[in-house]
Amino acid sequence: MSLYRLIQLCFTLLLVGLVYSSAQASEGETAHFPALQTETARLEIHAATDTVAMEPLIRDFQKTAPDIAIDFVEYVTNDLQDKAEITCQNKAVIGDLLISSAIDQLVKLANDGCALAHVSAETKRVEDWANWRNEIYGFTFEPIVFVYNAHLVPPDDVPRTHAALADLLRQRIDYYRGRIGTYDIRVSGVGYQLAFEDTRQPSSIHGRLIESMSRAEVKVHCCTNSSLDEVASGRLYIGYNIIGSYAYAASLKNPDLKVVVPRDYALILSRGALIPKTSKQPALAARFIDYLLSERGQEVARREAFFFHKDANLPEGVDGPKTLEESGISRPIRIGPALLAMQDEAQRRRFIADWSRLMIDIKHPTAAP
Amino acid sequence: MRPEPSLFRRLALRICLVLAFGAAILISAAWYYARMAADDAYDRLLLGAALQISENLTVESGAIVATLPTSAFQLLGLAESDRIFYRIVGPSNQTLTGYNDLKTKEALDKIQTKPVLETGTYKGEQVRIAIVPRTLSDPAVPGRVHIIVAQTTEARRAQAEKLTLQASLLVVVMSLVALAGAMLAIRYALQPLEELGMTLRRRDPRNLTPVNVPVPRELKPFVGSINHFMHRLNERVSLLQRFVADAAHQIRTPLTALSAQIDLLESEKLDASGRQHLERIQQRTSELAHLTNQLLSHAMVIHRADSVQLKPYNLIDVTRQAFRAAVPITLDPDIIVSFEAPDDDPIILADAVSLREAIVNVIDNALRHGTQSRLEVRVCMAEDQATVEVEDDGSGIPPDEWEHVTRRFESSKHSEGGSGLGFAIASEVLTAHGGRLRFREKEADRRGFTVILELPCLNAEEARYMRLASQAPFASQQS
Repeated sequence: MSLYRLIQLCFTLLLVGLVYSSAQASEGETAHFPALQTETARLEIHAATDTVAMEPLIRDFQKTAPDIAIDFVEYVTNDLQDKAEITCQNKAVIGDLLISSAIDQLVKLANDGCALAHVSAETKRVEDWANWRNEIYGFTFEPIVFVYNAHLVPPDDVPRTHAALADLLRQRIDYYRGRIGTYDIRVSGVGYQLAFEDTRQPSSIHGRLIESMSRAEVKVHCCTNSSLDEVASGRLYIGYNIIGSYAYAASLKNPDLKVVVPRDYALILSRGALIPKTSKQPALAARFIDYLLSERGQEVARREAFFFHKDANLPEGVDGPKTLEESGISRPIRIGPALLAMQDEAQRRRFIADWSRLMIDIKHPTAAP
Repeated sequence: MRPEPSLFRRLALRICLVLAFGAAILISAAWYYARMAADDAYDRLLLGAALQISENLTVESGAIVATLPTSAFQLLGLAESDRIFYRIVGPSNQTLTGYNDLKTKEALDKIQTKPVLETGTYKGEQVRIAIVPRTLSDPAVPGRVHIIVAQTTEARRAQAEKLTLQASLLVVVMSLVALAGAMLAIRYALQPLEELGMTLRRRDPRNLTPVNVPVPRELKPFVGSINHFMHRLNERVSLLQRFVADAAHQIRTPLTALSAQIDLLESEKLDASGRQHLERIQQRTSELAHLTNQLLSHAMVIHRADSVQLKPYNLIDVTRQAFRAAVPITLDPDIIVSFEAPDDDPIILADAVSLREAIVNVIDNALRHGTQSRLEVRVCMAEDQATVEVEDDGSGIPPDEWEHVTRRFESSKHSEGGSGLGFAIASEVLTAHGGRLRFREKEADRRGFTVILELPCLNAEEARYMRLASQAPFASQQS
């Protein structure tokens, strides 16, 4: 039995490794969006955000600025952060605009003086919690959700709160063992951020949930999309801490994939945009930020890219409270210096080490009582 | 002479300067205190955050573990747009975590028990630095850990600016209010000066009595000086008047003797030219006597105006007496003189002697210089005014000389010889009685040149009251 488990684990690790390396290969790629008319300028965006998600926005922006070509370079969050930090220290150039879902990393960059401020009529509409020093602007409103495969998770099992998920994993551990997926916070900056934010919630539920997930031998992935693929294909049953917009996009493609906005609390992630200090075309970058924050940009984002919006109802088919704002359960991750605490090197190492001990290092079932 | 700036301008200018100076000092002070207050407030946050981090230091299996509490960063995040740098330095000066190159001015080994706050620069920006020492009691890692937390100073600068601006606004508003108040106060304070000036300007030039208006203490010496000067002037004028009266009186006796002596000269014994000379001497002597009498009468009138209390009289009686005294028995019988009086009795408040003198002088003047063949004296009565009109059929005085003739020794050019004291006496008497002397031009054929003496007249009730008050019988005769 244990040998079987070991083999299964090795296989899983191999699979994860494969997925990870393939992900590595795909991320870091550059997508070119040629200008609609004669090109007069080329905006270089370095982002830790799926090209697919950003594409509608980029295309619509080009309608307002047909002479602009855009190069979109995609990274995993941590890779982007490493490169941005190094270029900032060496005063080298890393594109004109950075976009990342790992807000804490952007805050670190801004705190280190690697960002340019930008103020305009559009930026004035940004909520306080989504703006720091006029250098980082959060331009999306994305709840962190659970996903499940409706074929494999019976309706009675569907967890609608964090506590329900913890209880489910405890009660039906045999069914769900090895069938839960979440971020690998060692490689994913946004995963680390979400895990860290979870520990900061006042209820003690998170401890129980971590413990339950640890026992249920959670599977970790570098990226949202690989987790979603696993759930969609039925290899995983439930995905935890998944970015809502990606989850909803995947659920549109695969009706078996269902999205749940937890009813006890829902972290709200706002993707950040930052103009690096070494940007060669800060005005052009600022123009793109203004577009993202404009009503037109927000509308396109809600319709085609990120689906959720602060003032709009939840998209159809999403299980959750009708509107996040009114339900009072939304916990926006405030873009500000408080995020620096989680960016501390020693802290991060320790947090990841603790987390790894629970989530990764439990290699044999004897660890579970 | 360069005109001196007004008192108001002097005061206003100086008050402005004082207020501006005061406002500058207040604003500087406000700036200083605002900076202190902002520094103080944000230093507390900084220190609080550093202390929180130091509280979270633990030793786990022989290694120092720094758990950075998010709350510490949230605390610092209250200074919304400020950047935060930190460094935790272990016992052997190794950086446990944070920004390696964050340096302090004060050597860390000197900071042993108490937290230190200092100002420095990091990454090219001014920062405020808090250093909190923490002594570890764990035997595994003996020594001291230093927590260094630095924060940029944008928020405190903004706070200080905001406070200073608000305080400055208050100071400016207060200064303006004070300035407006001061201006009003100065205007109010200078009002008695203006009033005093007005009183002096309105004063009758002949009035040399002391100025008696209520003035503030500061103006009393000034008014005192004016009064002192007036007193001396008054003395000199009285002295002069007395001298004139004395001189006239002294002259009268030898003059009477002189005319008696001239009368004794027998004109029959003189030849033709001698007689002519004698006649001239007689004429001149009589003129001199007339002038002397007028001078005396003037002196008397002035004296009485100052000293005699006015009593109610019937103007008709007074005028009739004057008429009798003024028209000599020796008057050319060809000249027709008449006296008219109304049915009502015009009762006036008067010094009968002076008033009679005034009327006599006017009639006398008319007989001497005006009358050709007719002289009319009329007493008239309007509502609250009684007049005595003296009309003759002479050529009269042209209107442009009317003003001159009421002054002493300025007689009409058309009249020869006689002195101009007559009208001057009449005018002064009337003024003393609250009336005035007027002239009316000759109108061809219909009316001759008329001198009018105007006097305020009492109504019946006043007259009765005055009669009772004066306890005097209804005076008609006082010689």
